[in-house]
Amino acid sequence: MLFNSVQFALFLPIAFLCYWGITQIRPKAQNLFLIGASYLFYAWWDWRFLGLIAFSTVVDYVVGQRIYVHLDDRRRAKAWLMLSVMANLGLLGFFKYYNFFVDSFVDGLQALGYTPESSYTLNIILPVGISFYTFQTLSYSFDIYYRRLKPTTNFVAFAAFVSFFPQLVAGPIERASNLLHQIERSRKFHYTQAADGLKLILWGLFKKLVIADSLAPMVDDIFAHYGTYPSSTLILGVVMFSFQVYGDFSGYSDIAIGTAKLFGIELMSNFRFPHFSRNVAEYWQRWHVSLSTWFRHYVYIPLGGSRVSKRRAVFNIAVVFLVSGLWHGANWTFVFWGGFHALLFIPVFLLKRNRIYMESVIGQNSFLPSVKEIGQVLLTFGLVTFSRIFFRSPTLTDAFGYIQGIFTDVRIAAYTHPVGYRMIDYYVLMLLFVVYEYRIRKNERNPFHFKSPVIRFVLYVLVIFAMLLFYDDGVNRSFIYFQF
Amino acid sequence: MKKFVLKSVLYLGLILLALELLVRAFHLHADDPPKMIDEFGVEKRVPGSTGHYVKGNRRQHFTHFSINGSGFNSYREFEPSKDKYEVALVGDSFIEGFHQDYDNSLGKKIEDRLPKVEVFEYGYTGATMAYQMHLVDAYGNRFDKIDKVILYMKFKNDFDSRKHRADYELVRMLKTLPFRIRENCKLWVYGSNYGMTLPIKNVAGAIWQGLNFTRGIDKRGVAVPEIVVSSVAERIENFRKLITTYGWDTEKTMLLLDSRVTDGRFLDFCDENNIRYLDFSTAFQKAKAPVTLVYDKHWNDYGRELIAGVIADYLQKEVEP
Repeated sequence: MLFNSVQFALFLPIAFLCYWGITQIRPKAQNLFLIGASYLFYAWWDWRFLGLIAFSTVVDYVVGQRIYVHLDDRRRAKAWLMLSVMANLGLLGFFKYYNFFVDSFVDGLQALGYTPESSYTLNIILPVGISFYTFQTLSYSFDIYYRRLKPTTNFVAFAAFVSFFPQLVAGPIERASNLLHQIERSRKFHYTQAADGLKLILWGLFKKLVIADSLAPMVDDIFAHYGTYPSSTLILGVVMFSFQVYGDFSGYSDIAIGTAKLFGIELMSNFRFPHFSRNVAEYWQRWHVSLSTWFRHYVYIPLGGSRVSKRRAVFNIAVVFLVSGLWHGANWTFVFWGGFHALLFIPVFLLKRNRIYMESVIGQNSFLPSVKEIGQVLLTFGLVTFSRIFFRSPTLTDAFGYIQGIFTDVRIAAYTHPVGYRMIDYYVLMLLFVVYEYRIRKNERNPFHFKSPVIRFVLYVLVIFAMLLFYDDGVNRSFIYFQF
Repeated sequence: MKKFVLKSVLYLGLILLALELLVRAFHLHADDPPKMIDEFGVEKRVPGSTGHYVKGNRRQHFTHFSINGSGFNSYREFEPSKDKYEVALVGDSFIEGFHQDYDNSLGKKIEDRLPKVEVFEYGYTGATMAYQMHLVDAYGNRFDKIDKVILYMKFKNDFDSRKHRADYELVRMLKTLPFRIRENCKLWVYGSNYGMTLPIKNVAGAIWQGLNFTRGIDKRGVAVPEIVVSSVAERIENFRKLITTYGWDTEKTMLLLDSRVTDGRFLDFCDENNIRYLDFSTAFQKAKAPVTLVYDKHWNDYGRELIAGVIADYLQKEVEP
């Protein structure tokens, strides 16, 4: 069930009313209801993979208990932790990476002059959300192992934590210390929280339906025919992809966070205006925050983090970015993308500028950003956008072909929409979006933060009006990050 | 909780109202002039209707229409007489021409080229060959005075029936209260035009089917007969039947077609039966720019210029110098 579907528009109010209705009668049934709603939500896509969620739930629940029992015996605790790692990464490895590794192995053999007689790849469907919920359950086991968390004894709460439908299929990847603790307690309805949830859902839908979906046909066209376009169009294509992927994924996260608020639960922020970052380090503190912090806590720090020699720290950073790239997809393009970001990040780290923007935002104390900040933002956006050529291209050959096109066929030519729509509409849309995002840059949790109720109402109407104006029934409405 | 639900419903209502006002203020919706069936069993539009035709969510294509006293979209009234040279252009939405300003139609372009000629455009959306031949037959008194009748056809769409049957049920349904409300809710009309309401209709349909199923009215097993006219021979046979029913004046009546999308066997049939046709395929093939609109496949201004040229070149020989 997609967040941007009529089915979800029906499902959500029914689930909302039943949930709070049940709360009044029997508060303890909240979590049971959440599990039922979440499994129904997931089954709408494919009920056959419900077993995987249930499997991951049972394994990590049991493992969590066992690790805690053996916390003083680190060898046994580690053995139980490894069971969780193997179970979750085993699922992920089989469904997501099996064909990739087999293909890569066969390619390697062929490079050495040996051609295997038969193919060993399988026709596997990638269960949606598997990369997200396996990482979430893994974090639970890790946190118990590192003594950051006590295991829950409430299996129903744990099952609700793993399957909580707003963030089940594409995050934010929550940690038990935040989400499980909320689920273990009974929730009460708060008007402000629910109203804020609806506002976030509205803003998320705008980002998805208006920004991401309306740019998608042009991005698809330019990336599919990059060999026929001049450099100006290729640059336009990847810039539009930057807007598209941001609108798509941050839109999804906003809807997820807003939906969770309707059920009395606060999820972590996943996007904090990443395209206003002043260097790549700040970008990674603002883009897909839940994944970045996951890798920091469960890969980077266990490897030693930055409290090791410089050389080792650089190695740790490279590992984190390469693994993060591979997490996104079973394709060398993502590994390259991760490697490219490591190359961007390491100089910032060596110059000790990776933490300087942690507490501030562009234009922190002024209405407009300074010229220096604009330059920094444009440079960071340019570099991040350039890296997305690898992210978006189906193969490395295509990615390098695209880059070659940018630097060889240097021409400026007007681009025409594949269906023939007016291009000026999209340029104005992107400009207005940037201006509005800048206006709200200090609070990603409240995109309609205006005192006047009239202004707020006008904004609601305009946002929905824009959805009508840019609606395109020929667009694939799925979210980009579902494929990960 | 109660406050939240009530306020949400209130906001939803106010937002829908504001959107309705915005759609009306910017005239984003397309008008659909009311349909009627006259005493001759000819479907047409209610005379005197005027409005706008819109294509594209953001009103990328915007034109005016004006229904004349005869019930067809045209800048002129149809008053045939013996002392003028008159041409009737009969066809579907391509001739009806809501996609163009009514005073810049195909007929007007022909008249601009041939000042002595008056063109009467009998266009009606979805008109098949059966409809067209019925119209010519039903308006016999008027058409007797018209010098040339040109029927626009698309071979794939227009030969599915052997006799015209006016859709009284549709016209009656469109006059019912739910349809009148729907027609006056411009937000819904706008949404319908661009497929926004389709997912809602699909879900509502699925729920309705489910309700019928639980009530024991399961229609899933009932085979719905499909009217499939796939064979070329069947279409040609239909045309033959139409000629038998309505007649065909070989001197006066001719077809307007694009031979690139017309089966060769049909063209052979026409040749064998002395049915003349004007083919605009060559003009379109030589076109130096797109001949159809961006937002739908109707002819654009350039496409109509080309066709007007083909028709005018032919008529030039017929009109007295």
